[in-house]
Amino acid sequence: MALTIISLMKQVPLPSEMRMGDDGLMDRTKAKSIINIDCSYALEAGLQMKEAHPDAKLIVCSMGPPSFVESLKKAMAMGYDEAYLLSDRKLGGSDTYATGLAISTMLKHLGFGKGLNEDFIVVAGRQTSDGDTAHVPSQVAESLGIPQATFIETASLKGTDIEARRIIEGGYQMMRLPIPCALSFTPTGVPPRRPSLAGTVKSREREITVFSIEDVGLADEKIGLSGSPTIVAKVTNIKSDRAPIKMIEGQGEHALISNLAEAMKAGKNTMEVKEKKEKKEKKRPEGFEEVDFRDGARGILTWAEVVKGEVSRPSLELLTPARHLAEQLGNDTKVTTLLIGKDVGALAKVLIAHGSDEVIVVEDERLEEYRILPFASTFAQVIWKIKPEIALFAATTAGRELAPRIGMKTDSGVTADCTALEIGEHISRKEKRIYAPILESKRPTYGESKLATILGFVCPQVSTARAGTFEVPTADESREGTITPFVPELAEEDFAVEIIETVRGEGGLQNLFEADIIVSGGRGSVGDEMGLVKTLAEALNAQGVNAEWASSRPVVDEGVAEYARQIGQTGKTVRPKVYVAIGVSGAVQHIAGMKESETIVAINHNAKEPIFQHADFGIVGEYEDILPELIEQVKNGFTFGITKKQ
Amino acid sequence: MSSNVISTDVLIVGGGPAGLSMAIDLANRLKQKGEEKKIMLIEKGSEIGSHILSGAVIRPKVFKDLLNVEEFEGIPFDSKVEGEDVVMKLSTGGAARLPFHPPYMSNEGNYIASLGQVCKYLATVAETKGVEIYAGFAVDEIVYENGKVVGVKTKDTGVDHHGTKQKNYQEGTVVKAKITILAEGTRGSLAKKVIDRYGLQGKNPQIYSLGVKEIWSVPEGNIAAGAVYHTFGYPLNDKEEFGGGFIYGLSQNRVAIGLVVGLDYPDPSFDIHAAMQIWKTHPEVSKFLEGGTILEFGAKTLPEGGWYSIPKYYSDNLMILGDSAGFLSTPRLKGIHLAVRSGICAAEAAEAALLKGDTSEKALSKYETLVNDSFIYKELYPTRNMRAVMQDGMVLGGLKMGIQLLTGGACLMVPEVEADFDTTQAASKFHGIPFAQRFAGKLTFDKKRTFDKVTSVYQSKAMHDEVQPIHLVVNDPDLFQAVNIEQYGLSEAAFCPAEVYELHVNKEGKKSLRLHAENCVHCKTCDIKSPNGGITWTVPYGGDGPEYTYM
Repeated sequence: MALTIISLMKQVPLPSEMRMGDDGLMDRTKAKSIINIDCSYALEAGLQMKEAHPDAKLIVCSMGPPSFVESLKKAMAMGYDEAYLLSDRKLGGSDTYATGLAISTMLKHLGFGKGLNEDFIVVAGRQTSDGDTAHVPSQVAESLGIPQATFIETASLKGTDIEARRIIEGGYQMMRLPIPCALSFTPTGVPPRRPSLAGTVKSREREITVFSIEDVGLADEKIGLSGSPTIVAKVTNIKSDRAPIKMIEGQGEHALISNLAEAMKAGKNTMEVKEKKEKKEKKRPEGFEEVDFRDGARGILTWAEVVKGEVSRPSLELLTPARHLAEQLGNDTKVTTLLIGKDVGALAKVLIAHGSDEVIVVEDERLEEYRILPFASTFAQVIWKIKPEIALFAATTAGRELAPRIGMKTDSGVTADCTALEIGEHISRKEKRIYAPILESKRPTYGESKLATILGFVCPQVSTARAGTFEVPTADESREGTITPFVPELAEEDFAVEIIETVRGEGGLQNLFEADIIVSGGRGSVGDEMGLVKTLAEALNAQGVNAEWASSRPVVDEGVAEYARQIGQTGKTVRPKVYVAIGVSGAVQHIAGMKESETIVAINHNAKEPIFQHADFGIVGEYEDILPELIEQVKNGFTFGITKKQ
Repeated sequence: MSSNVISTDVLIVGGGPAGLSMAIDLANRLKQKGEEKKIMLIEKGSEIGSHILSGAVIRPKVFKDLLNVEEFEGIPFDSKVEGEDVVMKLSTGGAARLPFHPPYMSNEGNYIASLGQVCKYLATVAETKGVEIYAGFAVDEIVYENGKVVGVKTKDTGVDHHGTKQKNYQEGTVVKAKITILAEGTRGSLAKKVIDRYGLQGKNPQIYSLGVKEIWSVPEGNIAAGAVYHTFGYPLNDKEEFGGGFIYGLSQNRVAIGLVVGLDYPDPSFDIHAAMQIWKTHPEVSKFLEGGTILEFGAKTLPEGGWYSIPKYYSDNLMILGDSAGFLSTPRLKGIHLAVRSGICAAEAAEAALLKGDTSEKALSKYETLVNDSFIYKELYPTRNMRAVMQDGMVLGGLKMGIQLLTGGACLMVPEVEADFDTTQAASKFHGIPFAQRFAGKLTFDKKRTFDKVTSVYQSKAMHDEVQPIHLVVNDPDLFQAVNIEQYGLSEAAFCPAEVYELHVNKEGKKSLRLHAENCVHCKTCDIKSPNGGITWTVPYGGDGPEYTYM
């Protein structure tokens, strides 16, 4: 039988058109619908594979309301052979766990899975713009029992294997996967083709198969709200903490820069801080049954990711919320950290010094480099052994694929990319019950405009925490803790995915975390190979200011800057006093890595770029014109208000 | 047949009032005869209506000819014109209300509408009749066989700005058709090619106006729905700049305002977008906007040459409709009813041709016969010299127009009509007061009531894929540098309402052109007004461009 490429696709409201309804909820009905951006890259990845293997069959699957037919038609217009939609009212309210389960059940119904037709590849988008979790591909893979790779940029068929390039922090990894497998794609590979008119005309006539839950054999209790281990308990507005930008105007570059200096001296716009009303202590309703759903599960488990022989910074940051939660839970709640790798025993002490009470050490030379299958399996075995109530991962590329896979193994679901973690209680008026203690995982959503609180009712409650959000706890070398070795049972097939090579930029460029001024160049500043950007940083250093240059992702992709200098979600998160963004468009991924900067100055020729919505000062102009003048004035003493280092 | 070739009986390029009317009327006719023919309509906007812009005050009668009663009732007109159509002559600080009504300008019984919304509705009507509508596809090529039009080809996609094919390259689709209809609207880029190739141009070159328009949400009481005001005078110079403003009251406390200016002005630095911003600050205009907020911005040209500028609008297997053919009545400021009527005439001609199996030029000459028997002729012929005399300025021109009213359109001393790009004078030859000097002190925009171009582009929601060939073609870069930049001071930067063209001067004083094609709102002014015909507007990828919702 010929190879089948299965693309998983979701239709989402056009992010720029999402408007707040009168009820304070996102009104999705008025926004235009599009194929989720990441999914459209996966669709293209499937088409690229087909070009190399013309015999392959392309099918596209989705789950959602009947209106999704529109996007499925578009996928067919792009070149897909068949389209399937799982659509049922009862699926409403599904969390990512239930969604993963439902989609994999549909795929099994179509005849794909372990023990069924195994000659298939699943391609999916990394995450959706209206969910942002990146869970579903991992969960479908786990549910189908097949290997996976997430954050894939490009993939091609090599004989009977898939060779894929996976983005990791500060670099990339080339890996080889057997068929069947699942791949989730970032929106950085080959951009989706536009459907041709001929393809669109043909797709008009084509049928889309719509399944109900009965059709695919899904039981009621496994879907929708009732089948979801997690719920969204509440959504609140995030108030933008950045006041409106001051746009600098002036005739000619000299005036522009002088006016910038003036404006910076006068200070940025500030938000009016409204006095918070004293919140009334919520009354606990009387006569409600208090439920401890933990069923004996106790303690917090974290993962210590090892990169280049060191515990990664985000894994150390994770110990801050872990300790905070342990304190809130009281009763000597223990923080246990799982450390996996080759010759990593010595790192256990570092973890204890930073806040772990116990470190479980798994040493195996096959586990030197992070690999999803053996790591997920090891993790699950540790969870079954120590029964923690909470499991935390740093939301790195590894953490974000590992956590959902584990959440599927433990039937507990996951909350992605949290920025706050607290212990609270959940009052269910319907059931007249109070669930406590419970982990409140808070995460930004809808393009960072809302903060959602998510609760899980199955232990361990699994969450990933956004890197750069929490401080690294102060190390206390005198802290004591226990170190426990552990030997997991690993099967041969856990090693089916092979890592061909891992490339990470040299030097961690720790200086980026300490610099007072970061001069960052984007796609719009590469005309001279970032020469002017670098010169500006040098000029600032010559003035005695601690300055460093950095870049956005496209610049790294073009090979103009090394990975270590990349700012953003897949690079570094920085908080300098002044961040100067030059020719940076301001993609959300980049903003996530620099929005905590004290003052942000944006220079871009296109006034429509989103960077101007995230900056304090803005200049519209070509960098080739603005920068020489800026450098000139830096040489004459303008240092963005930063005093010289001592 | 290759996978990228498809065929149809009738292909319509453009989903405006002309193309949609043609589709509806032809579908009706064929159904009556029990004939099954395929009618395909392709539109470059992401949706039907998203590239449509008009005033618009619509004469409804022609829609009653096109649609049945029930369909007609469904047209989403905004509001019926209420009360008197007020015409004001503005001066720097004041205004005088005209005691009389200019001929042809009565709006009794007419409706104010968003033409985009009307087109959207017409598209749903057409689809129920079996017309296949494909929005979001750009057509950039006419396909010829043996020198005759046999269809079109959509634009190749997945090509970068150097013209290099990318991994997601998709070859365009060839659509073969027995009859190809060009209904692209003003300054159609395919119509332009075919008019050149076959030498179809009329007695005079086509001349145009540019209209810039905004929709505002205003406090209750600022303006009544259905109110119609027209202005002339300030800020235009009556001697050299032909045009005026409009203010239409819409439902839900909205107002449509705009300034329309003939592109035959001489000042190379004249800026219609800025002129509109200045016009908005005149007390007689600003009073309507007081306390309001802008909802939308747009700009589009309109063909104003009238009867003598109309090209021959048919050939073998080909008909040209609506604005692409220049069917617009300047004295009435209206073209929608003519566009619809041209669609109906073309549908009747197409029906006869398809049934006979003869789509030759001779067979399609029925289209011309029908146009000449229709009100298109009756409205356009008597005013055939009307726009031409305005090249004398609005005072002398107005006088000559008065004569025409008595003579049935004949007039002595009609100036020869020059193409718009020929009327711009080089900076050194222009002896009037340059724009910036004329309006010194009025060219800073507060971004509340008045806006710079970049903000306006944002309000038009224009977007373009970055990875594609630049769709604004500088025909001869050396000549452009020597003439358009050095002699005219890049008048493109002034006339473009969307800041696509920027004059850059480096430290050594060297001038150069910077193109921001992504700002383009598809008004086509550069294709019309660029001195020497320096710029060719080509169609970018389908779905790119503005996203008008109520224009």
